Amino acid sequence: MSFLHSVRDIFRGRAMGTAGLIWLCVILFAALAAPWIAPFDPLDIDPVNRLTEPGWPHLFGTDHYGRDTFSRCIYGARMTMLIGLGSVAFALVTGGAVGMLSAYFTRLGNFLMRGIDVLMAFPALLLALVLMTLLERSVVNTIIVIGIVYATTTARILFGMTLKLKREVFIDAAVCSGAGHGSILFRHILPNLISPLLVQASFIFAFAQLQAAALDFLGLGLPPEVPSWGNMLSESRIYVTRAPWLLLYPGLLIILSVFSMNMVGDAMRDSMDPRFKDDIAGV
Amino acid sequence: MALLEVKDLAIAVAINGRLVPVVRGISFEVEAGTTLGIVGESGCGKSLTSLAIMGLLEGSQVRITSGSIVFDGQDLLALPPERRRAVMGADMAMIFQEPMTSLNPVYRVGDQITESILQHRRISRAQARERAIELLRLVRIPDPEGRIDSFPHQLSGGMRQRVMIAMALACDPKLLIADEPTTALDVTVQARILDLMKELQAETGMAIMLISHDLGVIAETCDTVAVMYWGKIIETAPAAELFADMAHPYTRGLLASIPVTDREVDRLEAIPSRVPLIGETVTGCAFHPRCGRARPVCADIDPAAIAVSPSHSARCHFPGEDSA
Repeated sequence: MSFLHSVRDIFRGRAMGTAGLIWLCVILFAALAAPWIAPFDPLDIDPVNRLTEPGWPHLFGTDHYGRDTFSRCIYGARMTMLIGLGSVAFALVTGGAVGMLSAYFTRLGNFLMRGIDVLMAFPALLLALVLMTLLERSVVNTIIVIGIVYATTTARILFGMTLKLKREVFIDAAVCSGAGHGSILFRHILPNLISPLLVQASFIFAFAQLQAAALDFLGLGLPPEVPSWGNMLSESRIYVTRAPWLLLYPGLLIILSVFSMNMVGDAMRDSMDPRFKDDIAGV
Repeated sequence: MALLEVKDLAIAVAINGRLVPVVRGISFEVEAGTTLGIVGESGCGKSLTSLAIMGLLEGSQVRITSGSIVFDGQDLLALPPERRRAVMGADMAMIFQEPMTSLNPVYRVGDQITESILQHRRISRAQARERAIELLRLVRIPDPEGRIDSFPHQLSGGMRQRVMIAMALACDPKLLIADEPTTALDVTVQARILDLMKELQAETGMAIMLISHDLGVIAETCDTVAVMYWGKIIETAPAAELFADMAHPYTRGLLASIPVTDREVDRLEAIPSRVPLIGETVTGCAFHPRCGRARPVCADIDPAAIAVSPSHSARCHFPGEDSA
């Protein structure tokens, strides 16, 4: 109940955030129920009906192998959710651990944070491209690579916040009561970082979707046979004049999902950080 | 043997790779069940001393350069970290100046109290919660069963300081270090917290080391008083004796700068000039540039502690003299 209450508190009076949340729920539902709601098998080839225009029974038309675009879009939602959640989890766990440990053990931090600085010196997409070329194209590798890219920013943010938190008097009080390093880090510092972590997660989720689509489009992300929105864009780009719907639908889905996630992230940040409260800022 | 014996403790701060002394060799003892007050103005090293005893200087720019801290027969500075953690919170506890920031904002106060109990005692969570309620009752928090599930921001400053005291008392410590426990509180709340500490001392028999810049607080609560100036203890005596007959000009100056209500005073006495800066070198007595009774010898020789009476000593060449 209290979870539902806090969700309600975050989204009450924030129309854009609510719309974003609803859209993401739709995508999540499509991802979970893909085998039951997709009218066709996303991999079924039907050369007779290749490049048909949107209509019935192919709502979004078919591609150059005659595969149903609507079904592929629904299965693509699966990949979007998988890559998004996977890279968020990877980025938060590794980036969070590096940031917190670096701030807490300063000597280790001097070493680790310089590594993070080096990684951050690369543009995000370039870093992902370099890492991807070293690895095989697979779902897991895509998650790891995108996770590493966004672990750097997470580490930076948590580094700063942990530095500030560890000087709080309540941490001294915990040390005084005999708490060890593990207990201080995980029981006293980490719970204070939950809300910034949640906000960070929402933005990473949005960027990860874009990043994954970009990697797919450049032919370095998921294996080509996997139906993902980025792969669909990549495969059909040569048909853009003959069958523009092949780019239209996955493109729109990417835009809408990233936009929705950003709106949800804004709503979460606004509700958690008093400095961004709409009523105070008068926005 | 005293419960806490601090001998020749010296603390220095690393500034640009240079160690600048801040506490310059202080020695004092706290007997079981008694209250020692350490008084001095900001920057005299009184808080650093308490942090050193609690082991909170680790990993900072501040180092203990010499001396020993013996608590209950164990040299704390020589103990390995795990053994030291077992002492901290259990036999020795601390309360801080800022009740607003010394409780973790994301935990209910009950969880914070049970946490420190569970750290040291092998009892169940339910038993620890019982104990926490008992502790809240002990520190006179009304409706402890209800308050135990409050978050810190739902409590007033005085209440939070009471919760801090409850946390500190969780494992029946032998020594409670209180660093300016009432400075951030209203005067009326101050008196009640001090009374509470005295009452709890009478009930549990713990020793208290009270650090304050407020002579009034010290006079009210302490058995023994140590006055610190520029990193040294310049006068120490039983409270009654000290306030009856102050031997060091600095102690007199401190008292004279407090407003009194029982007679008409036009101007408050201030101690002229300022404390030497950290790292500044002063030859002779550190107080001589500000001292009314300074003579040539004061600028050359740093006075040793001179016994004014068997229990009262002062670091002054001319203890007890009236200022010129």
